[in-house]
Amino acid sequence: MIDAPVIDLSAIAPIGSVAIGAVVVLLVEVFLTRSRRLLGREMSSSYVGATLVVLSTIALAIAAYTAMAGFASGISVGFLPDLPGARLDRFSSFAIALIALASLLSCWLSLKYLAEVEINHGEFYALLLLSTAGMMLLVAATDFLVLFLGLELMSIPIYVLAGFDRRKLRSNESALKYFLVGSFASGLLLYGIALVYGVTGALDYAAVRAALAPGNPLALIGMGLLVVGFAFKVSAVPFHQWTPDVYEGAPAAVTAYMSVTVKLAAFAALMRVAVGAFGDALASLQDVFWMLALLTILVGNVMATIQTNVKRLLAYSSVAHAGYLLLGFATGTIEAYTAVLFYLLGYAFMNLGAFAVVISLSTNGQDCEELEDLAGLARNRPGLAALLTLFAISLAGIPGTVGFAAKFFLFKAAVDAGLIGLTIVAVFGSLVSVYYYLRLPVLMYMREPGAAKLRPEAATLELVVLGICAFVVVLLGLFPSEGPSWFSGIQALEWARASASVLF
Amino acid sequence: MDLLTLITFLPLATGLLLVATSRLLPEQAWRWVGMAGMVLTFLLSLQLWAGFEPAQGGFQFVHHVPWIPAYGIHWFVGIDGMSLLLVVLTTFLMPLVMLASWNDIKRSTRSFVFFNLFLQTGMLGAFVSLNLFQFYVFWEVMLIPMYFIIGIWGGPRRVYAAVKFFLFTMAGSLPMLVAMLSLYLLHAEQFGGALEFDLIAAPGGGTAGLLDTIVPIAETATIPWWQTQAWLFAAFALAFGVKVPMVPLHTWLPDAHVEAPTAGSVVLAGVLLKMGTYGFVRFALPLFPVAAETYAPVMFTLAVIGVLFGSLVAMVQSDIKKLVAYSSVAHLGFVMIGIFALNEEGLQGSILQMVNHGLSTGALFLLVGMIYERRHTREIADFGGIAKPMPVFAAMFGIVAMSSIGLPALNGFVGEFLILVGAFLVSPWVAVAATFGVVLSAVYLLWMVRRVFFGPCDNPENMGLLDLGLREKAVVLALLIPIIWIGVYPNPFLTRLEASVGDLLHHMERTASAARSEAQPSEVHQTALRPGTAPSAIPRRHDPASGKRWAASARSEAQPSEVHQLGGIPR
Repeated sequence: MIDAPVIDLSAIAPIGSVAIGAVVVLLVEVFLTRSRRLLGREMSSSYVGATLVVLSTIALAIAAYTAMAGFASGISVGFLPDLPGARLDRFSSFAIALIALASLLSCWLSLKYLAEVEINHGEFYALLLLSTAGMMLLVAATDFLVLFLGLELMSIPIYVLAGFDRRKLRSNESALKYFLVGSFASGLLLYGIALVYGVTGALDYAAVRAALAPGNPLALIGMGLLVVGFAFKVSAVPFHQWTPDVYEGAPAAVTAYMSVTVKLAAFAALMRVAVGAFGDALASLQDVFWMLALLTILVGNVMATIQTNVKRLLAYSSVAHAGYLLLGFATGTIEAYTAVLFYLLGYAFMNLGAFAVVISLSTNGQDCEELEDLAGLARNRPGLAALLTLFAISLAGIPGTVGFAAKFFLFKAAVDAGLIGLTIVAVFGSLVSVYYYLRLPVLMYMREPGAAKLRPEAATLELVVLGICAFVVVLLGLFPSEGPSWFSGIQALEWARASASVLF
Repeated sequence: MDLLTLITFLPLATGLLLVATSRLLPEQAWRWVGMAGMVLTFLLSLQLWAGFEPAQGGFQFVHHVPWIPAYGIHWFVGIDGMSLLLVVLTTFLMPLVMLASWNDIKRSTRSFVFFNLFLQTGMLGAFVSLNLFQFYVFWEVMLIPMYFIIGIWGGPRRVYAAVKFFLFTMAGSLPMLVAMLSLYLLHAEQFGGALEFDLIAAPGGGTAGLLDTIVPIAETATIPWWQTQAWLFAAFALAFGVKVPMVPLHTWLPDAHVEAPTAGSVVLAGVLLKMGTYGFVRFALPLFPVAAETYAPVMFTLAVIGVLFGSLVAMVQSDIKKLVAYSSVAHLGFVMIGIFALNEEGLQGSILQMVNHGLSTGALFLLVGMIYERRHTREIADFGGIAKPMPVFAAMFGIVAMSSIGLPALNGFVGEFLILVGAFLVSPWVAVAATFGVVLSAVYLLWMVRRVFFGPCDNPENMGLLDLGLREKAVVLALLIPIIWIGVYPNPFLTRLEASVGDLLHHMERTASAARSEAQPSEVHQTALRPGTAPSAIPRRHDPASGKRWAASARSEAQPSEVHQLGGIPR
């Protein structure tokens, strides 16, 4: 008789609900599309989509709620008590809750969008949930094998999602490119894990940390390869070349989803690896992060200035943001990691908000692609134009928005640690970014409307997402550490600090 | 809610109220409601004027509320004589601007009213801030409405001008953000690790403010280069210098002024440029007194170049608005000369001259806007002899031009006189060069007035020009009142400045001598080392512990509670 392993349900509730949700969505989709035979009447595809979104919402809401509850109670339990390869503590519950919320918003954005661009297949939601489950595993991992498992579970569905618009050449190209580059990155990561394992004889982060001897060249190479693997995922220069093509080719809803959640998950996992597994040996990698941050900030911002496509613009801007986040890694203090987590939180909402505007303008099987399409938007759609301006201003880091608050804390931590040169580079990067983000309001407010065919009305769910994102961007921008009277429970910065301090 | 907070947010609140009820109100009602909000703000600010105690010194109407206390960020407002004048100038100009552009702005009136209200809150917030972070927020936020005002309602090259305006200001202020951070950390090291952005100690005790930081003069083993006065001053001076604008950072100004609608130009000249000079007086001087003194010759040189260059370029302009724009460069150069004279006369004159420039140049832009509205051209060559069809306009323009030149009995004279006295006390040569600037300003303005208003009125299009209407007369008359008042009886203004300027100079003296005596031992130390090894390289991550040692050795005299009177710069 084999004893079933004792599983702490509270630990696996978030990831479990999403994984189960994925399976349920897949089954229900099959059931509903075959409904003519089973129910005796045809289900319209929009009805199917709505049902699937409701199911996904339930799964993700449970995940977000249980993660938040776990965060509030401050639990720290392994997924499997006998085999602790992943752990739900304040750090992973913070990241999991954020991933769940971002996935939820992406899910809501997809409902109308999929119908508009005529790719309304139910697998979309199942893939999205599966990938989300992978991300959750990734950030909770405390063991290199589980890390790899999570990484692949996250990536493979996204390869499929990137090519979801299978009739479009560019979507196919996007999927293939992402798949090839992603597999390459996974290979490097795996090789890094192997080397680290070879040196230390351990896969568990804490054991690796204890066994890592500073100065061991093999260990150094292993850690370097691991960092490179992650650098691909977060699109740090010079490992970023796939980003603009993939972001441009993938359907906008997928781009919105992956630009936010993959970055979140990969950065959170990297943080856990950097602090938890490398520990003091990380000091030798600090210069690598320094260089990566420098290149990423410069290249991302400069390349963004010459883009004419909204998705490519946002792709390069996301590269630039990865650069600022790497500045936090180059700093490497608890203060810096707190700022990185806060930045990720703010970035999720401002970037999703910006994509939400693009998505809510897409129609007739076409994405709102070219910057020119936005010309004169303020004339006909003043609300959307104002919101996109808000998100652009926040991405540029103008005070009063979460983008500024996040940069402020990050720069403060970096200056505190004496990284003045890199901070000045980051500051000038932000200056360049102001130029290209300002092009959005210039087009929308200071130009006459063009001939672009845009969707005349946004769907309710899209408006809800826009509202949530705008609210968070302004609220956290003005009150990052504690909300005003009615929202005094929202203490984003304190949450970030609490979750970063778990690692140390 | 206290008075200053109310004044700051009343315009924005009006704007948000309008947005919230946008469906209910017709476009015309927006103007009226916006105007009402601005007038109410002005009336409230008169209460500040009445309640301000000139003799008391220090900051008054202070209000302190925690905002992000863990990072030393508070909502901290208060005014001294200088900010009082600038706040009242702002609240006074805004309704006039609104009134002047009543018929000027024809499309998207709603947004226009909203952005003006938003802009007013941005400007007022910057003037009343006693917390550096809070100041920075307002300083940046006010760019957004101005950017839209230029970009949407401006002339043909409006987009270029708006983006250039935004980028130039950002290019200056982002390095200032880094400088702010390193100053803030330096302060924390000196005062036991508590993070604080407040300029002065909060009312009711609290840690010392940023102004109490003794910024080191030279770098040492524990003080990296980026925490020395010279570098921090340079970063602050860059941010403020762009806004002033000082030559050679001025190139955004002519573009912005020429392309902006009348309302935008008036606010830009009247208030926004003052942000730069205000920043110098409020932050750069008291924080980095030694650097300010050391680099005063550089600033003088740039300012004198600004005066002469601005005047000469203004002289050759064929566009009236561009001429007035370049005259701003010259006038602000004057203000900078007064500030860096670093004496009572110069500073008082400069602050008064900020107000004067706001009134006179604001009025000039308004008048140029009025003639542009009628003729849709601003070319001097298109005019000539229009004093005949527009006698009232000509008379008013003449008075305003005279005040801008600095004719006695009008406001410009008082400010310029004080600045020249201040400059003369420091360097007669600077005073002589600046006087030459006054002569040049007479040349370009009077020459322009002659070409536009006098001579034969031979262009048929100019013969039928209508003189000013009631609304326009009211706007200009409202501006002429303070112009003549300050010229004839500047005392109420100067007495309000006296104590503030005295406070500032006293504070500079104290911190400068503290910084110098701090630098003394380390210099001796270095000379002792010199024969042997070179001073060690700066560590990339400086050791906080050694930084704290430095702070601990800082004299106990810098203890906040002893030196600090409530809400004032220690005298």
